[in-house]
Amino acid sequence: MDNGTAHDFLSDLPLSITEIILSYLPIRDAVKMSTLSTKWRYRWASLPQLSFCDTCVSLSADKSVVESKLIKFITNALLLHKGPIHKFKICTSILQGCPDIDQWLLFLSRNDVRELTLELGEGEWFRVPSCLFSCHKLTLVELCRCELDPPPGFRGFMSLRTLTLNQVLVAPEAVESLISNCPLLENLTLSYYDGLDLNLNAPNLKYLCLEGEFKEICLEDTPLLEVVSITLYMNTDEIQEHFEHSSGCNFVKFLGGVPNLERLIGHIYFTKYLSIGVEQWTPPLTYSHLKIIELYQVSFEDMKELLVVLRLITNSPNLEEFQISGSSNTNAIVEAPNLEFWETECPSDCMFKLLKTVKMTDMCGVPHEMELIKFLLGNSPALEKLSIVPCIYVTELKVDMLVELVKFRRASPRAEILFLQE
Amino acid sequence: MPEGAMAVVKPEMKSYVWLETADGSIQQVEEEVAMFCPVICREILQKSMGSSKLNAIVLPERVNPATLGLILDYCRFHQVPGHSLKERKAFDDRFIRLDTKKLCELTSAADSLQLKPLVDLTSRTLARIIEGKTPEEIREIFNLPDDLTEEEKLEPLKNVTDDPRIRLLNRLYARKRKELKEREQRKNIEAEEEHVDARSVDDLLSFINGEDKETKGAKTSKSKKKNRRKKALLKECSNNENGDHKELNGVSYLNDNDTAEDGLLDSGPSSEMLDLMSPSKLDFDDGDIDDDELDPAMKEELDREVEDFARRLNSDWPERMQEILSRGQGRKLTPISINGNGSAQGYTGHQQR
Repeated sequence: MDNGTAHDFLSDLPLSITEIILSYLPIRDAVKMSTLSTKWRYRWASLPQLSFCDTCVSLSADKSVVESKLIKFITNALLLHKGPIHKFKICTSILQGCPDIDQWLLFLSRNDVRELTLELGEGEWFRVPSCLFSCHKLTLVELCRCELDPPPGFRGFMSLRTLTLNQVLVAPEAVESLISNCPLLENLTLSYYDGLDLNLNAPNLKYLCLEGEFKEICLEDTPLLEVVSITLYMNTDEIQEHFEHSSGCNFVKFLGGVPNLERLIGHIYFTKYLSIGVEQWTPPLTYSHLKIIELYQVSFEDMKELLVVLRLITNSPNLEEFQISGSSNTNAIVEAPNLEFWETECPSDCMFKLLKTVKMTDMCGVPHEMELIKFLLGNSPALEKLSIVPCIYVTELKVDMLVELVKFRRASPRAEILFLQE
Repeated sequence: MPEGAMAVVKPEMKSYVWLETADGSIQQVEEEVAMFCPVICREILQKSMGSSKLNAIVLPERVNPATLGLILDYCRFHQVPGHSLKERKAFDDRFIRLDTKKLCELTSAADSLQLKPLVDLTSRTLARIIEGKTPEEIREIFNLPDDLTEEEKLEPLKNVTDDPRIRLLNRLYARKRKELKEREQRKNIEAEEEHVDARSVDDLLSFINGEDKETKGAKTSKSKKKNRRKKALLKECSNNENGDHKELNGVSYLNDNDTAEDGLLDSGPSSEMLDLMSPSKLDFDDGDIDDDELDPAMKEELDREVEDFARRLNSDWPERMQEILSRGQGRKLTPISINGNGSAQGYTGHQQR
């Protein structure tokens, strides 16, 4: 066909490969490929993944114009598309709730969509149409800024493995039943979620990420959970009051049934949350798989929070990495700290056999911080690196911190101590 | 010393397999390296092939000796455990510095050996080469045949990006074509000009540019009565077009076009979605604007504008396509001129009649 030197190698590639190449292109470029030659005409149209974003259309000052352009682009792309659509993704700040999205979703629900991501712009939230709940092949659902209201007869997504709800308005009971009705669910992310109470039943759940206002989180049935990342906001009066009167132990409710936990990340208020009722906690629970613990904004003045920290690390015999940051509230430095606490609460035979890395940030040099450092240094024979980043407000105490640090006995001859400033 | 001894012993311990490429050449390759390709691995494990030169593993046709060399380099690095992610990435980055022909061959060969990580790597590289380029650039880079008509090229873009400049160009193109047809009918002397339709925009334009002056006289005697209203509208349109044109010459012509487009989209008929651009449809469109009913001065002016705009669209076609296609990425901050907007309204009104 081609004469001599000029050979069209690209078009001669097998269809499976040209599909891979097209799938790596932004959809605009993929569509553009249609204008290359007869062999590339409408090749994009059978791509099983369609991903749309703001760059699909040109921006202009008039928002409604851009919005209608994007709507048209997506509608046309769906109309021109042929074959199955496995993945459909919209990430845009331009679009808000509009009737067209309902139609797209209806179209997709008839095309056995498997992965659906809808991330729309701020403004009017979009109500997820009921046809979404009839997409039985869904394995991944990511929704952002919308209203979710499963119909009464909804029996769950039998194949769903990943569910991400970010700023989604949904009733707490609806979330709980949605989650428990997805037997294969492995990844769950709820962010900006203000459901307050959450009871999780997800026998296959491995990854959990929660962010929002909560009064009670209870991991009722999550035996396979491996990674947990929690950010709690409990600064409203209602929540504060709830905690003052709450009975029971949050630690047990939250971490009582997760024997396979490998990584725990607790952001703001998480340690405080766990500390409620911690003194009642007696049964020795061992997290033998827990390798990484990260706790942020821990208040070293609160003995109950310290207890949480100690209980967690001393019950994780295979811990490899530990990261903690202080809440840098220097005003609250206690005059006469109760240092006996460390003698009574630290098991003398505790060894962190595998602990290699410790990172402590926002340290103020208060006695309890130094005690924790001393405890870790003295009981971690495999420690390789301990880094300390002092809180930016600490100035004159730094030297005292260093003097004390030098004194501490180290169980690991190889331990390197890094005192990082800024 | 023990290390040296090891080094001497090790090569002897290594086992080799024999591989035969489609051209008949046979070579000996470390087994562990070759095993990294699933297809070869299967041949060795399931069919016990490759143990001798006579029993060489025949590789798929798409693997030639040169690409096999590259594939083995890739396997040799990646089959060794212990490389960090960064090291692997650095190797890959260096490895794929190949010309596009080699990249295509390598992709195809890796695919035939089911070496998926390499297929992904080369495909991603090819995609990166393609991304953001104009069709012309891509055609040149990959030696793709330019075998689509201008209309066909516009069609998928029109459908998906619905760019009014493309619509506009089409209208201009159609109008010119009709005009040429008419001229041809009138001046039957030059009978050579037969298949006007088949010619490219470039040909048409050079034809127009060359012959415009001679033909003008033939078209001036027209009845003007019943089309006064139409004329007025056209005048408005042509003035606006004129405005457009001025801006086109200036720096802000693109942003002006943007507003023109916005105007069109505002009131643009949504039924155009699947409106495929058949010539009949274009002719019908063209009938809307009957050039022959214009007064000559205006006609001349309009002609000039049309030509100018068409030439502009045509001459820097690659760049323009690029701009059209990359709008939204590049020029987010260009201000909108009100003047341009006005012209857009004119166009819209014009178009909808």
